Amino acid sequence: MTATLNSPRAGRPYDEADLSSLAFWQATAEERERTFAMLRAERPVTWHPRSETAMFDDPNDEGFWAVVRHRDLVEVTKRHDDFVSGQGIVFESLPPELLDAGQSFIAMDRPRHTKIRRLVSSAFTPRQLRRIDDRIRANAKKIVDDLAPRGEADWVTDAALLLPMHNICDMIGIPEADRLRVAERSRYVGGWNDPEVMRGRPILETMFNNMVEGREFTLWLAGQRREDPKDDLMSALVHAEVDGEGLTDHEVAAFFSLLTIAGNDTTRQSLSLTMHALTQFPEQRAWLMEDFEGRIGTAVEEFVRWATPIMTFRRTAAHDTELAGVPITAGDKVIMFYASANWDTEVFDHPERFDLSRTPNPHVSFGGGGIHHCLGIQLARTQITALYREVLHRLPDIEAVGEPVFGVNNFFHTVNHLPVRFTPRP
Amino acid sequence: MRVVHDPDQCANLGMCEGVEPGVFEIGADGMLVVLRPEPPESLRASVEAACASCPTGALRIEG
Repeated sequence: MTATLNSPRAGRPYDEADLSSLAFWQATAEERERTFAMLRAERPVTWHPRSETAMFDDPNDEGFWAVVRHRDLVEVTKRHDDFVSGQGIVFESLPPELLDAGQSFIAMDRPRHTKIRRLVSSAFTPRQLRRIDDRIRANAKKIVDDLAPRGEADWVTDAALLLPMHNICDMIGIPEADRLRVAERSRYVGGWNDPEVMRGRPILETMFNNMVEGREFTLWLAGQRREDPKDDLMSALVHAEVDGEGLTDHEVAAFFSLLTIAGNDTTRQSLSLTMHALTQFPEQRAWLMEDFEGRIGTAVEEFVRWATPIMTFRRTAAHDTELAGVPITAGDKVIMFYASANWDTEVFDHPERFDLSRTPNPHVSFGGGGIHHCLGIQLARTQITALYREVLHRLPDIEAVGEPVFGVNNFFHTVNHLPVRFTPRP
Repeated sequence: MRVVHDPDQCANLGMCEGVEPGVFEIGADGMLVVLRPEPPESLRASVEAACASCPTGALRIEG
């Protein structure tokens, strides 16, 4: 307890708005938005007690600053020397082993961040994505081929989960037979409060087992590619050098974990929530279908704003500083709330409208513009376009026939299930 | 016209290359290279669009 008593944060009053309870994260996005709207208008930078969603009760975790306005989120993101990532990028305290194992360059600062991230950045450029566009289209077509005769399906598990899984696994070089297990493992990220993911098992033990299993698989695949390199990211990683040295097993495993999590879970949520939105707003869908190829580019940006697949990222103050006039102390956790920034009326007219013609659309779903900006932007856009091009043309009456079943998570805006129905096409 | 690239802000995403591959390229080392720092006037529209496409604000045009 000594650390807490001597801390510069001791005695700092907590804001009355609740962002820390499990109940807040079990509520819907609409309910959370009521709190965010009030904070944006009245108290844009506020101090809150540590989250009840934590994996374990860490007495040294004294709380966090909540950043809810668009402009402040962008500022925190761009001030990457003041608000650093190297002390963790999620809300809660995690056991250090788990923290290390899963985050790789997303939780690094310069100069290491630059050197590690660039090992894979050339695989994600628009030019490279054009090279694999046929493959992405073929994966989307296969998913709709399998759906078409059925007449009903779970849009999450039968489509939204599968497309990003196959595409990121194609890029990394993960064999077909292992893909569902790799995708399943990424659901544990932020998902330790989700009964569907945990199935009654103890949290810490399950998270560690999941980590160990993922690591064993990664090192097996790394070994294969060391001996027999192919044209994929795993081969590139095991043969890469940084400052004259190869990556350690530990670094390869963390890299793999980051790529599979970022590659699977983000696009999955956007693909899932878009189907629900297109059902809720049929006039927007009709507008899109009048000129699909001409309008899908603008529409995709609204899909990802609406979904906001990642709801929070954390930074830590590297030294005493200020934000929006509020003094921030070295070591303070600063949490950025993306769903709130994407609904900020200072930036978006009627953010509550799903408006596929919204231009400009400076949403922060891919980040607020700093050095950690989403590497997979173009991959995400290409996949969302490919799947909706296939499904909306081939199953033109497909629609959600129930509410999305949301997971419990304060990082990913998780949808576990969404039933859909359509006229079967043999 | 001169392209000014700020490597301190750049995330090497290659959005600029997607718009104007004659001027911008993510090299084999994963880092952005401005192939033609002083592109011809005939490319002004696409170079402006490429700079505007940068999500991290790492590119601007002088002149």
